[in-house]
Amino acid sequence: MGKKKKRAVEKVFCYYCDREFDDEKILVQHQKAKHFKCHVCHKKLSTASGMTIHVLQVHKESVTKVPNAKPDRESTEIEIFGMQGVPPEILAAHYGEEEDPSAKMPKVEAPPLVGTTVTQNPLGVGFPPAYGAVPPVFNPALSVRPPMWPMLPRGPQQPWFPPQQHLSIPVPPAVPTLAPQLQQPLFPIQNMIPGTSAGMGLQPAFQVAAPMPPPAVSQPLFPIATSTVVSGPTNNGSSSGLVNANNPAGLAGVSGTATNQGLQPYASGPDTRGPSTGAPPEIANKAPTPANQLGTSEVYLVWDDEAMSMEERRMSLAKYQVHDETSQVSHFSLCFLSNAPFSVIYCTVDFNVASKIRYNLLDQIYALVRKLDFLENVPP
Amino acid sequence: MAFSSLTTAAPNVNPNKSFEVTPSPSDSISSLSFSSKANHLVATSWDNQVRCWEILPGGSSQAKAAISHDQPVLCSTWKDDGTTVFSGGCDKQVKMWPLLSGGQPSTVAMHDAPVKDVAWISQMNLLVSGSWDKTLRYWDTRQAQPVHVQQLPERCYALTVNYPLMVVGTADRNLIVYNLQNPQTEFKRIQSPLKYQTRCLAAFPDQQGFLVGSIEGRVGVHHLDDSQQSKNFTFKCHREGNTSTEIYSVNSLNFHPVHHTFATAGSDGAFNFWDKDSKQRLKAFSRCPSPIPCSTFNADGSIFAYAVCYDWSKGAENHNPATAKSYIYLHSTQESEVKGKPRVGTGRK
Repeated sequence: MGKKKKRAVEKVFCYYCDREFDDEKILVQHQKAKHFKCHVCHKKLSTASGMTIHVLQVHKESVTKVPNAKPDRESTEIEIFGMQGVPPEILAAHYGEEEDPSAKMPKVEAPPLVGTTVTQNPLGVGFPPAYGAVPPVFNPALSVRPPMWPMLPRGPQQPWFPPQQHLSIPVPPAVPTLAPQLQQPLFPIQNMIPGTSAGMGLQPAFQVAAPMPPPAVSQPLFPIATSTVVSGPTNNGSSSGLVNANNPAGLAGVSGTATNQGLQPYASGPDTRGPSTGAPPEIANKAPTPANQLGTSEVYLVWDDEAMSMEERRMSLAKYQVHDETSQVSHFSLCFLSNAPFSVIYCTVDFNVASKIRYNLLDQIYALVRKLDFLENVPP
Repeated sequence: MAFSSLTTAAPNVNPNKSFEVTPSPSDSISSLSFSSKANHLVATSWDNQVRCWEILPGGSSQAKAAISHDQPVLCSTWKDDGTTVFSGGCDKQVKMWPLLSGGQPSTVAMHDAPVKDVAWISQMNLLVSGSWDKTLRYWDTRQAQPVHVQQLPERCYALTVNYPLMVVGTADRNLIVYNLQNPQTEFKRIQSPLKYQTRCLAAFPDQQGFLVGSIEGRVGVHHLDDSQQSKNFTFKCHREGNTSTEIYSVNSLNFHPVHHTFATAGSDGAFNFWDKDSKQRLKAFSRCPSPIPCSTFNADGSIFAYAVCYDWSKGAENHNPATAKSYIYLHSTQESEVKGKPRVGTGRK
């Protein structure tokens, strides 16, 4: 296999079969000829995934393993080109620093294991302590089937157990190293594609040299969308902060959790900032007035009534108001905040009024309120 | 996209060439539900009916039975053994219908306002119903009184259960998470990551989080664990137009039972399949001329059923009862459409 190990310069080696080469060009040729070659038509592709896609699309066959690869290097998911994309553990293991090739495994496989073993802890973590103490109230009512209620077997994985590396993440290339540090690595948008830090510098070259057949099968809709961010102010109003979608730094101020800059911009959903804190500072929680706030293109919500859902609106039609005296909710308070600090307007509508009238009344109140521009937060 | 050339001066009502379920209800469909044991589809409608079809291999449908409520029916769900259907609606009741045995429906739940959503929790043998009366009630179908009444901050708009995770979406964008092992306590109450009214919810198959859809053409992916918060994100969908962008409501979110990818259906009349882990859209479908208010997968994910009918997203003015039609379509899912894909595209790693 490898010729010699210790030399002035470390030799490049093939991830799939561990052979060593003098320089990367020869390595690439080797990979193309041995690992990225279509077994049907012998076309040489540039990456493993390119080859699998070619075989799938052209020959309608599924390739699951990289040809001529060592048994634990056969995955077609990991993106290798020359020396780029090789996970650090493999590099380390190969160059003899740490005999620890198994370092990769736990991250990928442990989660399922971890999840099942840790059955006790999480309860303390997140759950109300009542796990052990089944709320007594229920038992009498459920005397018919007591065993159902308490302590259901924690067979399914631990709900919401913290440290678990999320199971459903398939193994995208380079997942293993990512796990702890760079949380969500998978986002293409900016060039700061997380990926393994080892591979970072190589990426530009990688992108250039990897003319994979366009992944026509799936469309990355989520990311990028800088244009849509601009034109879609109504989403969260933080358009001002978000327009520079490429500038994560700008966003860090907006959202609380700044660790993963890669995320926010495109998602344009300031979701990462712990929703409980409310909206990003400036734009705050202004109940999104349906009108577009953007000058350039008109954006409007097809259904813009925050106060009621489509079904409720439909139900308010006279034809459904048969007889509603059974409505038992006593009264109903509307609370409007005005811009002036600390001033709140309350309006109480009595529910004993038949619902038909109630809804009409509500509509009129809302119409009135909306005319009073200074009011915010017109809730149901 | 969806409109074929106008030979009959009407837009193509079935641009995706899906199988149609006949006979179709006479008024808008509010919910669709497949049995987990067989290809039995139930649809509830604004014409007060709950109908059941058997879907045969090949896509044809055979109407089997129907019951009626006194008022429009808003929600339905099957019992896990595939024998009984629960349906709830504007008559403020939930009816239990043991249709497989040919039984008659009986009322098992009462609320003070229309029942918006209902779910069967097999692990607890209870039915949970959420209503506009701001309560969540748990019912043992043998007793008239609820086993428990849970107060909600606002009217219930959406409900999703994947034991032991339950998430309730209410008006005012509250999202309340419950651990069904301790249902009397709210596990967590958060404000929706989306800035607009919550429209639909779907719990992850692995119970680690949920999806939330709003009226503003946006879906949020939310994990419950704070340590996984970085994986939360939102994305826009069901929007249309270049010069003037129309933003449609996301009406339905459904996870594929096998691949754990999910589908969204919106008021724009389109539905899409997405993979949240690779953050990609797997497949976009053509727009239908009417909104899609509800959709569902069957038990093995081979059929995606969706209804095409008016959902009131443009108010009463846009509803013409004389010409409005409601359809239920079945789309046979291809593996390439619903199977998750590793992320491809520029610069990954």
